[in-house]
Amino acid sequence: MKSSLKRTIHFIIKHNTIIIFLLMLVLSALASNAFFTPNNLANLIRQVAPVGIISMGMLLVILTGGIDLSVGSIVAMIGVLCALFTQSMSLPLAIVASLLAGIVVGSISGYLVSVQKMAPFIATLALMTIVRGLGFIFSKGAPVMVADSASALTDFGSGSLLGIPNPAIILFLVFGITAVLLKYNIYGRILIAIGSNEEAVRLSGIKVPVYKFSVYAIIGGLAAISGMIGTARTGVGSPNIGIGLELDVIAAVVIGGTSLMGGKGSALNTFLGVLILGMIGNIMNLMDIASYSQQVIKGLIIILAVLLQRFQEK
Amino acid sequence: MDMLHDQLVNRVELSNISKSFGGVAALKDVTLKALPGEIHALMGENGAGKSTLMKILSGAHQKDGGRIAIDGEEVHIKNTHDSKKLGIGIIYQEFSLVPELSVAENVFLNRLSEHGVWMKWNSLKKEAAELIQSIGFNINPSAKVANLSIAQQQIVEIAKALSEKVKVLILDEPSAVLGPNEVQKLFDILLKLKKEGVTIIYISHHLSEIFQIADRVTVLKDGKSSESLNVAETDRDAIIKLMLGRSLDAMFPPRKPVIGNEVLRVEHIQSDKVKDVSLTVKAGEVLGIAGLVGSGRTEVVRAIFAADKKQKGSVFLHGRKVRLRNPHQAVEKGIGMVPEDRKQQGVILSLSIKQNISLANLAGVTGKLGFIRSNKESAHVQQLIKKLLIKTQHEDIPAGQLSGGNQQKVVLAKWFNRDCHVIIIDEPTRGVDVGAKTEIYNLINELAGRGVAILVISSETAELMGICDRILVMRDGQVHGELEKHEFTEEHILRYAIGADRQPLSTN
Repeated sequence: MKSSLKRTIHFIIKHNTIIIFLLMLVLSALASNAFFTPNNLANLIRQVAPVGIISMGMLLVILTGGIDLSVGSIVAMIGVLCALFTQSMSLPLAIVASLLAGIVVGSISGYLVSVQKMAPFIATLALMTIVRGLGFIFSKGAPVMVADSASALTDFGSGSLLGIPNPAIILFLVFGITAVLLKYNIYGRILIAIGSNEEAVRLSGIKVPVYKFSVYAIIGGLAAISGMIGTARTGVGSPNIGIGLELDVIAAVVIGGTSLMGGKGSALNTFLGVLILGMIGNIMNLMDIASYSQQVIKGLIIILAVLLQRFQEK
Repeated sequence: MDMLHDQLVNRVELSNISKSFGGVAALKDVTLKALPGEIHALMGENGAGKSTLMKILSGAHQKDGGRIAIDGEEVHIKNTHDSKKLGIGIIYQEFSLVPELSVAENVFLNRLSEHGVWMKWNSLKKEAAELIQSIGFNINPSAKVANLSIAQQQIVEIAKALSEKVKVLILDEPSAVLGPNEVQKLFDILLKLKKEGVTIIYISHHLSEIFQIADRVTVLKDGKSSESLNVAETDRDAIIKLMLGRSLDAMFPPRKPVIGNEVLRVEHIQSDKVKDVSLTVKAGEVLGIAGLVGSGRTEVVRAIFAADKKQKGSVFLHGRKVRLRNPHQAVEKGIGMVPEDRKQQGVILSLSIKQNISLANLAGVTGKLGFIRSNKESAHVQQLIKKLLIKTQHEDIPAGQLSGGNQQKVVLAKWFNRDCHVIIIDEPTRGVDVGAKTEIYNLINELAGRGVAILVISSETAELMGICDRILVMRDGQVHGELEKHEFTEEHILRYAIGADRQPLSTN
């Protein structure tokens, strides 16, 4: 009797992310009839897509023991740039240029962290304010409209495939690639090893700086994709969106059981973390609860998730 | 002494102490008794359990069984605070000083809050200076500990232990980092404390020191204690026999070196702690580097492997000059290194045995686009586990669950897994039990037999003498002696290591 109780507790602790997720699903369904409607679910997944896409990059960064605070600013700056680019170049070119700009910003963080050995928190904090400022400079402080010639972009942003919103499809793609990389590819294994013991990896003859650099370049690119999705959905690039987005992303990764010390985390749990965070907002909106309470509950769930993980380590 | 022993109450009495870590017994039924005012030497090889025993007495570890009594009364030491209250002070091998604080702050670190929340700098410094002077030294109490020499740090550590009233003082290999003059000063302090009735437990593996200072000696071997011997009534051979339990020959596998052409040549390298070192290693040769801690021996091999930046000097492989800027390039050129600190630099404790072993040769287990060929990897790793006799149920078990010896074999397996021309092994058997030691020596022999040039660093002189074909002795960042096999003696090596080739070694 006692041992079966123990086993149950052990099971709950081990699978805490998925259990919290299922619990949220049940609570949501009970709380509102509107939750399990195709419309609402599509809405939910569309809403979480920007955070979700970036969270996969953040997972890689955090696995190496780093952090990236600049992603919210990148989302805003690329949103603006993408809208501006549509006014002067063809849409495919505008998309490629926007993506590259995001990768460049991420690469600057990557350079500061991997070559200059700057603390990731500091390096990306600096980039967070620089890039936010650049967004305002490029847009002259006002939202920038997407050119009429680029209506394909806005069509994509509001469109869907087989009932799945297009941004969600991108999210699923990014999630799938990350999951496969982490599980079956040497790249994922090296990132986890670096986060576990960087010096041992370096002394095994692996070029640690290259890998640390790469994760920041990747998250820069993913933040750019999220920025473009935002512009595609609304038709404008606005320099003041995405403030605090980095915290939502980090929260999702942490709820997913990733250790901020690096070396431990999974794509699936991070994905669930994103959904949990999204569901809190979604269900409370359906129930007409003020956003202030949402913030409190979000914080409580983060604490709960981290406490459960602490048990897991013991 | 013995007569005294019958009449007096023991200051320290450890009876039938046992302790295991993760199912591996570190101490079995260990007994040690010491009188007030006795200097009791505790000897034994690395991994024999000396430090574990002392950590139990100081509350850093908990005993699994047995009894501890202080002044005849049984005590239960649950943490380091308990042991302090009982008057037990310990000076660890690794210092517990805060490098960025001043000498005075370090000396009184445990008691800074006793006089209110505000620092009374003047009295603090004055008291620290007095304390240090009382033990015969002069160190500026305002100096930052990081800027002191190792020997001076040792003095601060002793002053810190004495800042509280101690009845029992444990010193864990205090002389390892001291020069001969400083050792003499340390002995003066200990004799003074002895007169005051303090019981001193002195861990060392320098026999000459034991005969100079200790009253009695207890030897630990494989976690078991010997009878305590009166030093005046025993001799070196008796102690060595207790320490090894068998002759040295049985421990070190026979070696018939087949030495080929030069593989590694290093000319005039310099780095932070290395002043101009040159050396060569030939194919199939095992070259040892001896020297005290801090002599620069680890820094030499780290500079060769490009783990540290070297300021000057060149490295040649097979006679061709190579430029190595980081470990990646060193590995690509066929150099492998088993680093000194296994847990911090060698194995990744949270990753599986398989993942650890593959780490140095990922190209060997990946297919297109970096995807891992799982079956191939597992088969490959299983083969290495078998070959290196790594004791484990499965290759997916985290390396942290293995014993020290098996972890060390995992690190060796990383380099078995590659085609290396040179393998550097820094402390091949630190914290490894005796059985696994011999297995590791066999592996080193096998690598040498394949024509690999091997560079071994060790603190255990006997180990170097048992497995090397030639030994370099370092001191102060330079090579001070080179010994061929027929010249190997502990005295010889120690002489170069402590600089006694210039000044006569104290007789004993």
